Amino acid sequence: MAIQEPKPEFAELVEAHAREIHAFVWRLVREDAESEDVLQSAFLRAFRAYDRLPGGANYRAWLYKIAGNEARTRLRRRARSPVELSDDFPAAAPSVEHQAELQLRLSEVAQAVEKLPHKQRTSLILRNYQGLGYAEIGEILEVSPEAARANVYQALRKLRARFVTAASGDLPAPARSPVEARVR
Amino acid sequence: MKTEAELEQVLDQLYAAGPPRAAAEQALTKLREQVQTWRPQLWYGSLAQSPVGALLVAVSAQGVVAVDFGDNEARFVDRLRRAFGVQPNPSAERAGPAVRQLDEYVQGKRTAFDLPVDLEACSDFQRRVLEAAVGVPRGRLATYGEIAARIGAPQAARAVGQALARNPIPIIVPCHRVVAADGSLTGYSGGAGVETKAKLLRLEGAAIA
Repeated sequence: MAIQEPKPEFAELVEAHAREIHAFVWRLVREDAESEDVLQSAFLRAFRAYDRLPGGANYRAWLYKIAGNEARTRLRRRARSPVELSDDFPAAAPSVEHQAELQLRLSEVAQAVEKLPHKQRTSLILRNYQGLGYAEIGEILEVSPEAARANVYQALRKLRARFVTAASGDLPAPARSPVEARVR
Repeated sequence: MKTEAELEQVLDQLYAAGPPRAAAEQALTKLREQVQTWRPQLWYGSLAQSPVGALLVAVSAQGVVAVDFGDNEARFVDRLRRAFGVQPNPSAERAGPAVRQLDEYVQGKRTAFDLPVDLEACSDFQRRVLEAAVGVPRGRLATYGEIAARIGAPQAARAVGQALARNPIPIIVPCHRVVAADGSLTGYSGGAGVETKAKLLRLEGAAIA
């Protein structure tokens, strides 16, 4: 019979992972107060489920999964009652006329990312901005690494289709894989 | 914008830097403080008699977490322990407001609950279903399909039925007001089943067959 590995104290998980998880949820909801709230809700859920989690689990992936779901719930609520996007994106504009146009563009892209399917949006953020590998993204989203890669690809493809107007050659997509070849 | 490079620049501008340092520090500080208060605590109390039999109710610091029909305290405590991973303690003081309001409600002296509910132990989907059920006013009925439509999952009437069947807070989260498309009172897992559902609806003055 397997002996369960000892588990760290929950407070140790907070110290080890909360900063990274906060960056993740902030990128998903892009709002300081809401990201703080999502972080707390996610860790509260994790805290309550922690006793049932087997020792030796991938705590980081587990926390990412819970936090991603919590953020998804918030984004759904937001989609039902849209609020004005904040206009405090960090943008360095060369001139005042360009400033407004840049802000609009940022808002549009941010909204388009929000409207991506959960797995595509999350995979894109995890891969490109949280620096996770496809194996770990797959674990968080409960899909294969190939599917995780395909999610990033699909997310970028949709954004390009929507925003890129100039004709381009081959997409500089993530390295090809059999799955990617199929979805193409 | 024209090129892929421009799109990438915009994405980087939105996401690369991550949260402002001050926001991140504040979020972490608050989380650390919160965790200190999460020494898990649940309390429960009971209502010995009511038109729908004895009732047990459990609360957390956030709100009501469970209502159970009957007086099987050991089963109730065991269920709470499994769901929350903590040992609940009896507390007439903590559970008092919920017990009182339930008592008033089943006696017809109260028309609505003024209690926070704590659905943190539920899945996202179940939480949405239960929140939608709370929106069905006293004396009115909704169908499983209507709840499914309300949460934006019109194909999920069956899953809605299952989520309501596992409602941890019956009566207060009024899953009894949700009925089949033909108006029949199918499926109630609390108390004496459909009979209890009918009792609650009659108490509320809903028009049922």
